[in-house]
Amino acid sequence: MRVTSRRDAVAAEIPRLRRYARALVGDSSEADDLIQDTLERALARLGQWRDGDSPRKWLFSILHNLHVDGLRRRSRRPPHVGLDSLGPDQSAPAADGASGGDLDRALQLLTADQREVVLLVGLEGLSYAETAEVLSIPIGTVMSRLARGRDRLRTLLAYGLEKEAEPAGLRRVK
Amino acid sequence: MSGGRRVSEAELHAFVDGELVGEEAAEVEAALATAPEDLRFARAIADLNDRLTQHYAHVLDEPIPAGMAARAARANRSGRRWPPAVTRALGIVALLLAGAAAGYAAGAFIGRGEAGRQPAFVANAFSAHQVFVPEVRHPVEVGAAEEKHLVQWLTRRLGTDVRAPELNGHGWKLVGGRLLPDRGQAAAQFMYEDATGRRLTLYVRKEAGLTDAAFRFAERGDCAAFYWIDRSLAYALAGRLERTELMQLASSIHAQLGGLSGGQG
Repeated sequence: MRVTSRRDAVAAEIPRLRRYARALVGDSSEADDLIQDTLERALARLGQWRDGDSPRKWLFSILHNLHVDGLRRRSRRPPHVGLDSLGPDQSAPAADGASGGDLDRALQLLTADQREVVLLVGLEGLSYAETAEVLSIPIGTVMSRLARGRDRLRTLLAYGLEKEAEPAGLRRVK
Repeated sequence: MSGGRRVSEAELHAFVDGELVGEEAAEVEAALATAPEDLRFARAIADLNDRLTQHYAHVLDEPIPAGMAARAARANRSGRRWPPAVTRALGIVALLLAGAAAGYAAGAFIGRGEAGRQPAFVANAFSAHQVFVPEVRHPVEVGAAEEKHLVQWLTRRLGTDVRAPELNGHGWKLVGGRLLPDRGQAAAQFMYEDATGRRLTLYVRKEAGLTDAAFRFAERGDCAAFYWIDRSLAYALAGRLERTELMQLASSIHAQLGGLSGGQG
């Protein structure tokens, strides 16, 4: 494929990348920084994208790697309390009723691993196999993170939205 | 089917996410009919996906920040501008959203399984395959003997370069092709046959609004298909074949046609 058409293909993915990044990091300027870095790296490495491969998958994996690097850098800064380490039981249930903000916040309370899988599958519509490739993990891991992430997300949303809901009732009865 | 086995939680996730096809999906679907608890669970997952999609849909419509566009443009030494690509991307978004909304309105909770995530041309390709493959006397409009005419005709009607890929090396010979209607546009179907009488069809349609997509697998009944989008042309290769065999053929076709419309890139 020609370089120009590769660039076009990369550009065509910008809206999707931004959507994913927004949901992933929860903050729009931080998300756009991540996209800038992703585009920069992608355009510098157009040659690594194999013909016939989906540009989306390739770009999502670049974004993933940059995101993970960013998380690592941040985790070395001691005073910052990682949201990822916060569970629903440690944080007070949201008191402000149903709003879109609940979803943003609930997502940020998942572990980064869970959030990525929940979003790649649920928001971006990637298959489990594609998600596994993007994140360089086995499909079984995709499935278990997905199940745990969704479970937790539903619990968090139910806590915030309907305080009377019992978390146990959300689980599938075995 | 009250004696049916209990569906696992992982299977329910996979079902909602469109990971199950054919019999597997039908099995889960049947089991859900008699398991209200599981059905509620599956609906909750589908709702979650739906909520995510709706909540972040607006990001797709936001204008690309100037800085981002500028950075991309700086890297683009050939001087080609971004707007066409970006506009195209937004067009796709509108298409995807319309499709998702339609799927949801149809009352199917099943999410992106068989219907929503699959572009419309795939269903048309399956239908055309199933209608014409059993034809004994008129499987094609124009036979392989007139391949040159066939290709010129379809190229004119589709408004883009169309070619019948060569599959002789894989044991499949061209039977011919035909013109088909697809949502108000022209589509082409090429048919191939092997020595044992099995038939394959390649469906081609212009899809200006969709971005390139790598191979995806789909099934309808006992018919399998690989579909992909390459530079505004949508392809679906369908046949009653093993997945691996079909994949090999699809790869060969993709490789042959890959350079076809490259001149415009």
